[in-house]
Parts: sequence; C-alpha cells; structure tokens
Amino acid sequence: MTTEFTRYQGVVAVTAIAIGSALSMASASPVGLVAPIVVFQIYAGHRATLPLRSVWIVGLLICVLAGLLGIAGAHSAWFCGAAVFALALCIGELIPTRGSRAREADANEAMRIIESMPAYTWSATPDGHGTHVNAGAFLYMGRPRRNRSLFHELDRAGWRDVIHPDDYERVLEKRKASLVTGLPFDAEYRLRRADGVYRWFWSFGLRSSDEYDAQNGWYGTMIDIEDKKRAEEALRYHEQELSQLVNMVPSHLWRLTPDGEPIFFNQRMIDSLGVDVMDLDIPGKSRLDALLTTIHPDDAERFRSTLDRSLVNGTPFSMRYRLRHADGDFRWMSSRAEPLRNQDGRILQWYGLCHDVDEEMRAQAALRQRERELKRLVDTVPALIWSTTPNGTPTSVNKRFREITGATLEDITAPDGSPSLSVVHPDDVDTARQAANHSFATGTPYVQRYRQLRADGNYRWTETRAEPLRDEAGGILQWYGVSVDIDDLITAQEALQKSERFLWQLVETLPAMIDCAAPNGEPVYRSRQLREFLGYNLDQLDRTGKSRLGGTLDAGVHPDDLAGVKEQYAHCLATGEPYARRHRLRRFDGEYRWVETRAGAMRDAEGAIVQWNVICLDIDGEVRAQEELRLAHERLARASQAASLAELSASIAHEVNQPLAAIVANSHACQRWLTSDPPNIDRAHRTVERIIRDANGAADVVSRIRALFRQSIDKRDLTAIDSVIAEVCDLLAKEAARRGVRMSVVFDKDISPVPLDRIQIIQVLSNLIRNGMEAMDGIAGEKTIKVAARCVEQVVRIEVSDNGHGIQDRDRIFQPFFTTKPSGMGMGLAISRSVVESHGGKLWAENNESGGARVVFTLPMDMKALLT
Amino acid sequence: MTRDDRIVFIVDDDPRIREALVELLESHGIAAMTFGSAGAYIDARKPDLPACLLLDIELPDINGLDLQGQIERSDHPPIVFITGHGDIPSSVRAIKHGALDFLTKPFSDTDVLAAVIAAIAQDRADRANRADLSVLRRRYDNLTPRERDVLPLVVSGFLNKQSAAQLGISEVTLQIHRRNVMQKMAVTSLADLVRVAERLGIQTTSRRARGDRS
Repeated sequence: MTTEFTRYQGVVAVTAIAIGSALSMASASPVGLVAPIVVFQIYAGHRATLPLRSVWIVGLLICVLAGLLGIAGAHSAWFCGAAVFALALCIGELIPTRGSRAREADANEAMRIIESMPAYTWSATPDGHGTHVNAGAFLYMGRPRRNRSLFHELDRAGWRDVIHPDDYERVLEKRKASLVTGLPFDAEYRLRRADGVYRWFWSFGLRSSDEYDAQNGWYGTMIDIEDKKRAEEALRYHEQELSQLVNMVPSHLWRLTPDGEPIFFNQRMIDSLGVDVMDLDIPGKSRLDALLTTIHPDDAERFRSTLDRSLVNGTPFSMRYRLRHADGDFRWMSSRAEPLRNQDGRILQWYGLCHDVDEEMRAQAALRQRERELKRLVDTVPALIWSTTPNGTPTSVNKRFREITGATLEDITAPDGSPSLSVVHPDDVDTARQAANHSFATGTPYVQRYRQLRADGNYRWTETRAEPLRDEAGGILQWYGVSVDIDDLITAQEALQKSERFLWQLVETLPAMIDCAAPNGEPVYRSRQLREFLGYNLDQLDRTGKSRLGGTLDAGVHPDDLAGVKEQYAHCLATGEPYARRHRLRRFDGEYRWVETRAGAMRDAEGAIVQWNVICLDIDGEVRAQEELRLAHERLARASQAASLAELSASIAHEVNQPLAAIVANSHACQRWLTSDPPNIDRAHRTVERIIRDANGAADVVSRIRALFRQSIDKRDLTAIDSVIAEVCDLLAKEAARRGVRMSVVFDKDISPVPLDRIQIIQVLSNLIRNGMEAMDGIAGEKTIKVAARCVEQVVRIEVSDNGHGIQDRDRIFQPFFTTKPSGMGMGLAISRSVVESHGGKLWAENNESGGARVVFTLPMDMKALLT
Repeated sequence: MTRDDRIVFIVDDDPRIREALVELLESHGIAAMTFGSAGAYIDARKPDLPACLLLDIELPDINGLDLQGQIERSDHPPIVFITGHGDIPSSVRAIKHGALDFLTKPFSDTDVLAAVIAAIAQDRADRANRADLSVLRRRYDNLTPRERDVLPLVVSGFLNKQSAAQLGISEVTLQIHRRNVMQKMAVTSLADLVRVAERLGIQTTSRRARGDRS
C-alpha cells in the first residue's frame, strides 16, 4: 500500500502545482502557489502524521465553508484563495485516488493473499522501518488491527515489548547488519503471545529492489517454529544424554571396523589410555597394531589371536588382559565386543565394552595366593590335618596326612560316609570310634590318643584333637581335626615312668633307710627298709596327736639321745644346714640300735628348701666293731710302748734310781741321827718312815714293770701265729718303709694255734724285727727282714733274720744292759728271752751263713709244756 | 744345831730326793733350801751366805746344765751336779763349765758331804776375795782422773821424771798426785800399790815400749 501510494506522489504534486499556478494567474495573486507546495509537503514526505491530517481536515472544512460563503457573494480575495486552495486540495486528493484504483485492486488481491498466508508477513522501508504486519500477527500479539498508527507504534518501541528480552539485542544486531549489508534478514526469536507466552519464530526478510535497483523496502515472513524448536531441543538433549552416557559410563566403550580398526573410544577410554583413536594413526602401522602396544606383552599375543578369531568368525569377543594406562601402570581389564550386523547379516561394526577389573583380579590373585599359602601351610605343618562334615564324613585331608599314613580321603571314608578309622590300631579302634561318635553326636571337642598306622606299616602313638566350627547360630558347619605324632613323647613318658619305677625300686630296696620330709621336717615318705625297721607306717603317726616328726622321735630315739637329736633337728630345720648325727633308734622288736642319720636339703632354683632327704644307716655293727677296734688300739698302743724296750729300760732305771737315791740318803741321815749325841730319835724315826715309803715305791715300780711284761698267765689263748706275725708287720710297716727295709713273711700253712699272750709275743717279735732293722743301718745294698714260721715237732719255730753285720758276741747279747747301739739300754733281748721262756719256749741268736744275724725263738703248742 | 753361816740350795724335781738330801745335810748340821725347778731357784730370794748348789740335771723346766750356763757370768755358789743316769758327755760339759762335782744317784753320804763342804769352803774364799776387791775398787773410784792417769805409770815402774814428761806436767805436780794416790789407795809402799793395781786388773805399761816411744 505504501509503495502504491508513493508511486503517485509525483503526479499529484505536478497536478497540484498546475492548478495552483492557474489560479494564481487567474486571481492575480500568488496564493495559488501554496497548494502544490502543501501537496508536496503532504505526500512527498510520506509523513502522514496526525497534525498534518488535522490541518488537512481543517483546510477541507474551511474550503467547504469558503465555498458556501463565496456562493453567498462575499468576494474576498483571501476567501477566494482559500477556496481555491481547498479545491486544489480536493483535486489533489482525488486525482491520485482515481489514478491508482486499478492498481489498488491488484494490491488488494495481493493483500488478501498475504493476509491469508499461514504465516505472519511484514514489510519495512528500506531503512528498516516497519510498514506492514499482517493481521495474524496482530491477532497473535493480541492487538486489534485498528489503524496503521498502531504499527508505527510497534515499529518505534513496541518490539521491545513483544520480543523476548533475551533475544531483543541479538535481533536488533541482525537487523542492523542486514540494513548495512543488504543481506537477507534471518533470525529466530521468541515473540510474546497475547496470553504472555513466548513462542519461537523464524523471521526471514529480503530486500526488494525495482528495475532501477532502487531500494523499495524489506519484505519478510515470521513463521512460528516453536514446535520445531522444541523438537530440536529435545533431540539435542537426548543426544547430550547419550553422549554423556557414553562418556560417563564407567567403562571403556569402543567401536571397531569389521576388520578390527578402532574408530571410536569413549572419553573414559581416552582418559585412561591417554590416546584417542586419531593418535593411533602411526604411519606404517594399523591402528590395531598401535593399540596392541598398550596391552601387556604377556597378554598381547593372546589378545591378538582372540580378536582375530572373533573378527573372522563373527563370534563375540571376550577376554581379560592387562592394559597400560596413561600413567604407565598396567591394569587388568575385562573386555567384551559384539558385532552389529545389517539385514544381510554382514558385520557393520564391532561395539566393545571394556571395564577395569584390576581390583578384582588383584583380589582374586591375593585370594588365590592366600589360598595357596593356606594350602601349603596345611600341607607343610607337621601335623595331620583333616576335616569332616558335621556328621563325621571326612571331607579333606592334608598332604602330610596322605604322605604319612599312606591313606587317601577315600581310604578313611567308610562306604556309609562315616570315618572308617582305617589308620587306627585295631586295639584302639573301638575306643576311638566311641569317642568320635560321642563328639559328633554332642559337639564336644574330640581328643583321643591311639596308635596310628603309618605308610611303612608301623604304628605310632598319635594324639588327635578335633573341634567343630560353628555358625553364628551355633550349628556345626564342619569339624577340623589335627593328629600329632606323640610317639616320642609316649616313649619318653614310658621311659620316665620306667625310670621312676626304677628309682622307686632303688630307693625301696637300697640297704639303707630313706626318708623324705617336707621343708618343716614332717616326714612324707619312708622307704620299705625304714618302715620295716620301725615296724609302723607313716600314716599311723597321724593318729597320735603329735606331729609326724615329733612322734617318730619320741617313739624311736633312745631317751638318752632324744634331747640332742631334737635340738639338732630344730637347728637344721631353722638354718637349712645338713644334719648328721649318730644315735640309738628303737627297732620294731624293742632293741635300740645305733644308726647314723644324715639329712640334706633339696632346694629349688631360688634356693628355697623344697624337701629334706634323709638317709639313715644301721651302724650298730659298725659302732660295736669300732668299740672293739678302739680296745685293740689301746692294746696295740700298750704293745707299742712296751716294744720300745730301749726307752723303757731307761725309764725303768730312772724310776728305780730315784727312790733308791732317796733311800740311801735317808739311811745315812737316819744313821747320823741315831749316832749323834744325844741321838735324835724323832728325826731318825721320820727318816726311817721315808725309807720304808720309798722302798715300797721302788717295789711298786718293779712290779708295774713286771705286770707290763707279763699281764697274766691266764690270758694265754690259742692264737694263730700267722695272724700275730701279720699284725706286727702291719705295725712296723711304716718304720720299715722309712728305713728302706723290705719285709718278707713266710710260714707254713698248717700251723696250729699256739697258747700265747698275744701282746707279749707282739712285743718280742717287734723287738726282734726292730733290732734287725737297726742292725742293717748303714749297710749298702738291699735291706731285708725275713720272718719265717714253721711247725717242728709240736713246737712253732719263728725266725727273724736280717742281712746286717751279724752278731759278734752271741752269749753276752742276752745279758741285761749289754748293747751295741749308741742309744740302747741293752734290755730288749733280755726281756724278750724272759717272755719267750715264760711261754715255755727258747730264744737264741745265730749268724747266717750268707751274712747277717738270725734270732730264733720257739713256742710249744702243748699247754702242758707250758705248765711244766 | 745347824750353823747358820752357810747354806745348801737343792734343785731337784723329785720331792723324795729333796727330802732325803735335806735330812742328810741337816743331820750333819748343814742348813738347806729346796727348789722344785730351775725357775723357782732363779726367782727365789736367797740368803747371802757361803753356799753350795746341789743341781739335778733332769729338771721339768730348764735342764740343769742350761741353768749352769745361765748363771755362769754372775756371782753364784759352786755347783755340784746330781743325776739319775749320768753320761760322760754331760759330766764333761758340767765340769768344764766350772761345776765342782758330778754325783750319780744313788750317791753315798760321804761323797755328798765332801762335795758340799768343799763347795762351801770355796764359796767362802770367793766371797772374801770379792769383798776385798770391792774395797779396793771403791778406793780406786775415789781417785781423780789425773790420779788414775798417774797410777798406771807409777806401778809400771816409770821414774817420776818420765811419768811427768809423759803426762806433760811438772815432776813436783806428779809427786803430789803420787802421794795422793798412795793415800787414797791406803797403801804404804809402792809394792803394795803394785799388788793392788794387779788385783784391780789395771794395765801396766812396758817401760821399754814407753821408752821406744819416747
């Protein structure tokens, strides 16, 4: 419409100018010139504004008024001019209207088409000002299509109201760009519908030009694309979803060509590997080969062959392998791929999935390792390990069980599922089975010792223990058992028992009385010997009301010894010192016998006394023997004293000389007192008393000496001479050794006992042997004393011979006080001879043919010879 | 009856011997003191009389011979040994050390008495001798040092002139000293003085030796 209107503006203007000019001419006033100018002003500028139209309407009214006035006859020039002007205006208005009527018909037709189009159309001036918007658009926007001024309104500021604020700036930018460049306007934006809802529209406009390439406006459409937009958005959303799915799924997703070339990795795979498919494009290598370098060398070959097989056969691919990740670590992956086929069954692509199973694989490996270790442990532990079901059916045995017993799981399972106990010694089977059945029935732990059959056929003692494994509810899940070889232990125990029995027997049968006491001295054990000696058992003491120790002591120890024994016991118990004492102990038959009791404390590692061990020996015989021995010693001492006759004789001389000297002196004094004038009778008398006293004293000395040599004739007993000789040799053995003299004794075997005084004969023999030894002092060579005893015609002949210098004066040596020795008194041989003669024998001396002397004496065997 | 101007000390361990000897000696009018051991004898206070010591060889504490050795250097009565069984070595030793006699038990009364009397007589002489000597020694002790210098020269037979020269004094001074010595020593002649000097054991100087020197 606007374009139409513009086309006729020139014509109108020219016409208006022509009329105006004619009028001006006719009226001879310039007023006619105003008309064309006004027309031009009205139409040329397309500025059909309200004030202008108002002016136009006012002008028209004045024109009509002026016409009416003119007709009335008031001819004023100004009224004439205004009338003309108004007429011009009317003409001007009419001419164009009539000139464009035909065109308008076409335009109306076009307008109807435009208006009825299922789109919103618009037009605009070349400078972009909107000129037209079809009715639908108004309807859409909820504005009545009242006049064109509304459109203008829109054109100026209304767009801001209807276009979505987010799109407004963008649309304006596009408009501006299109206006500048002349390129088509193409924009999508949201328009507010009448009810306030925004809908997407696509607006497309082109610049229209006439044949002279003059711009004559913009024309375009606005199409509602809301639904399309929504669909697009939904599509995009789904696509995004899918992409996110593909990328976010915690697995590697990939796609291969039918020949195996990778063509897609999802983001995760790219992140993990650190490479995208494009990065696999290495010159001279296929992508698959490049991909293989990321697989663990141990797995690459298998991967390749598995994949090749799948590619060739079209079978799904599935395997686990280690894949090197971007950080260089290999991680276990589980990969699967399946082919996508078209309708013909031809493989289009392979779709693959690969996820990280490293943790699982490692856990599995660890589990396997642990299982292996456990198995190794079970197999290597030095015990036989087995398990059974809750009701006893064997379920497993360890390797050692099989090795040691030679029996397998089948061997130890009876046909009915119960344990066969085939490895148990026949003698132990019944008790073992009974115990096992009891345990399986009641759930109590199983402990049994029995002899177990070994692979080599031997039986060894074994201790088997089994305990049930229970679930949380307490129900038995499994029985686990272990059998340990305790043969050595049993053997050791047996040995120990044997040794204990041995020791017990030893203690019980030792020929000594043995007693064990608690640290406080209370007896706890007594050996058989002691029990038999005392005649009662230990427990019999407990009824007496006294302590066992006190009871024993009071009942057993001799009353004379009791105090000392108790005192020492108390001391030892207090101090821990060993006890040793001899005392008399009452035997069961009432006889007191000498015993020697010794006790020692047995201490533990800390030194505390744990027990007293007491040994008590019956030394009654020994004590009596010692008493006899002591007496023998006394006799021997006397003999020895007597044997040293040289010293003895000196002593005799002194002992006798002293009283003699006193007697002599007193006698002279007495004589003197008597012969003096007057005689001193008192003094003489006293002197005589002393003389008598001293003379008696001298006589005593003599008789003592005599008694020494001749104890009593009654004491002569039948004595074996060899024992006497042996005794003397023993007596002198030390002296002989000191002097370097060897003594040899020879006697006949069957010498009858001789009646003799043993002590005296010992004196004689020892005197003779001593003489012989002294006689050999200073000689060179071996010194030998030979003692020989022979039996000759009812007489025992005893010889003592030496190899000294011999005897010069054989008669004088027997005289008293004859001596050849520097310190001798010359009494020995004289006394010896008198002793021998008192026995009815003889004593003489000879010189040996081979040198040295021989002293011989005889003793008659017959008592009568003695008496005569 | 016994005269108390003499005494016999008896040392013997046998009381019978001691008794008998006392009896014997008393019957002859000789007083006696008895001791059971050598120690008792040494410790006892004994009268200062002419005496005799009858000493047993076998004593419980100290052997008689050893006792003799111990008292040898002091003034002691003469010793007569008595022994039960004397042997030659002991008797020789005893006599060598100044014992007067050596009697073996049993001994006769005459032997004992003879020995005792002889011993007492000797002791009496010894005692007189010792008394004279002590008088002389006391006199000698009264001499001045110079007079003690003069005395040996005079008794050695030097002339006054020689003696004075030897002492570096005048002859007159010497003569005064000589007179004083004679007076103090209670002698009237030079011969007496020589005898006294001899008893006192004063060394005389050989005239020739002095002469050689001068």
